[in-house]
Amino acid sequence: MNLLRIELHKILPYRTVWVILAIYAALLLLILYASSKVTINGSELGEKMYDLPAFWLRLTYIASFFNLLFGILIIVLVSDEYSFRTLRQQVIDGLSRAELVLAKFYVVLALGVLGTVFLLLLGLYFGLLHSTDHSLSAIFGHIDALSYYFVQAVGYMTLAMLFGFLIKKSGLAIIAFMAYAKIVEPLLHFRLPDAVDKYMPMKVLGSLTPMPGQQMLDQLTTPTELLSPAWATLPAIGYITLFCLLSYYTLKLRDL
Amino acid sequence: MADILDINNLSKRYGSIQAVDRLTIRVEQGSIYGLLGPNGSGKTTTLGMVLDVIRPSGGSFSWFGQPVSRDTKRRIGALLETPNFYPYLTAQKNLRIVADIKGVGDSQIGHVLQLVGLSQRRHTTFKGYSLGMKQRLAIAAALLNDPEVLVLDEPTNGLDPEGIAEVRELILKIAAEGKTILLASHLLDEVEKVCTHVAVLQRGELRAEGPVSTILSAKDQVIIGAPGTARLLEVVQQLPFVATHHTERDLVHLTLQDGYSSMDVNRAMFEAGIVLSQLTVRRKSLEAQFLEIIKQQA
Repeated sequence: MNLLRIELHKILPYRTVWVILAIYAALLLLILYASSKVTINGSELGEKMYDLPAFWLRLTYIASFFNLLFGILIIVLVSDEYSFRTLRQQVIDGLSRAELVLAKFYVVLALGVLGTVFLLLLGLYFGLLHSTDHSLSAIFGHIDALSYYFVQAVGYMTLAMLFGFLIKKSGLAIIAFMAYAKIVEPLLHFRLPDAVDKYMPMKVLGSLTPMPGQQMLDQLTTPTELLSPAWATLPAIGYITLFCLLSYYTLKLRDL
Repeated sequence: MADILDINNLSKRYGSIQAVDRLTIRVEQGSIYGLLGPNGSGKTTTLGMVLDVIRPSGGSFSWFGQPVSRDTKRRIGALLETPNFYPYLTAQKNLRIVADIKGVGDSQIGHVLQLVGLSQRRHTTFKGYSLGMKQRLAIAAALLNDPEVLVLDEPTNGLDPEGIAEVRELILKIAAEGKTILLASHLLDEVEKVCTHVAVLQRGELRAEGPVSTILSAKDQVIIGAPGTARLLEVVQQLPFVATHHTERDLVHLTLQDGYSSMDVNRAMFEAGIVLSQLTVRRKSLEAQFLEIIKQQA
């Protein structure tokens, strides 16, 4: 826990962190407000949008798009350590390379918790304000979506951490991270059969928060094969472990 | 005395460049050990390797007779190349992070800030510091765990003359407490003024090593002149105590073997029937000697 305390000493006074978190919160709120005004077949989605328990699924699906922001934040924090040369200084002062990675992973976990708690509060606020059914079973019906969201956010951030450790420069690392998550892997999905690509990292992480109404869409077009959120958890945790190990080996094999 | 640092055949290669070539040195307890060499001679690379941030290509080293570990690091305070801190944090907060990593209490922070004269500016952010203040903060951070060994890489780099004098005084003060200091510098004068032992590096190779007094002892040079240089040279060549000599215009430059002085030269010349028109003793500059050491094997 000493490692987390050290990280908090670095992060809490850092304005960039607060700015990125503020952007995350603001964008998410904006989307939540705006999406209820979406009209489908001439009728506004309106209040139904916030109906619990389905709202948990919608909320986590929407929030999954903003994991990129968390990823960027982690890349900034990691690449800062290179550009301030503090990574090197911390090794001189007594931390091991494994501890350097572990410390950043604790930050990832902390941000994951922060994001999940924020969604919990948003869900309760919008849900209780707008939905008619206030029974416990409705409120907590799909609340496990939050735990899948947590795993997903941690997964995205761990991949971002790996890119940060690997590439050192924040700009390049952010571009590489976004390019991989949004372009390279989706392109690979086209080439590969569903049975294979459903195990690829971005798809695994994506299947943790499936698009609400996917089943309906599948009936109209050819169904895409996805792991269920519960099944995707296992490979997701595997990828998280892998990204941490790769980060560690990057540091181990490199001069700081 | 016990060895603090034992470096054995340590090498580092960057592609085609041999940055450090089979370096073997020993740093004894209580010494102020200078690593002297021009820029790019491998000083920082060497320190980086023994500080566990650069992977050696070959060879080994041990601190206090043990491989590098968290325990050995706790006994070392080091600054490598540049002061490395979070620019947006104040000096106080930067040092708190270092204290947490080194596992020492916050009470030390005030003490070391006082020691380097930054108490007044403890709440200024690091990016607002001048270069000299940054350097002093780095020394404060290195002192935080009250280390047995202090490793300093170019500690007076970028400081003004006053700052340089302050840092040197600080180093001597710390050494007087019985701490061992390993100091890298390209400034000969600095090594001569501060260090007890020196290793001279050039292009990654060890050129000379030993106590400063023997490696950098400024041997006197005697310059003589007389009417009739040919006859003068003839006599000089016969003198048993002349180590080397060479002629520059009509003057002859001599270096003498230990235990002889200009008086002996004068007496010998007089006995040979030569009256010197000029007899000058010149202390050889350290720079000249340093260049000589480097030239010897180049």
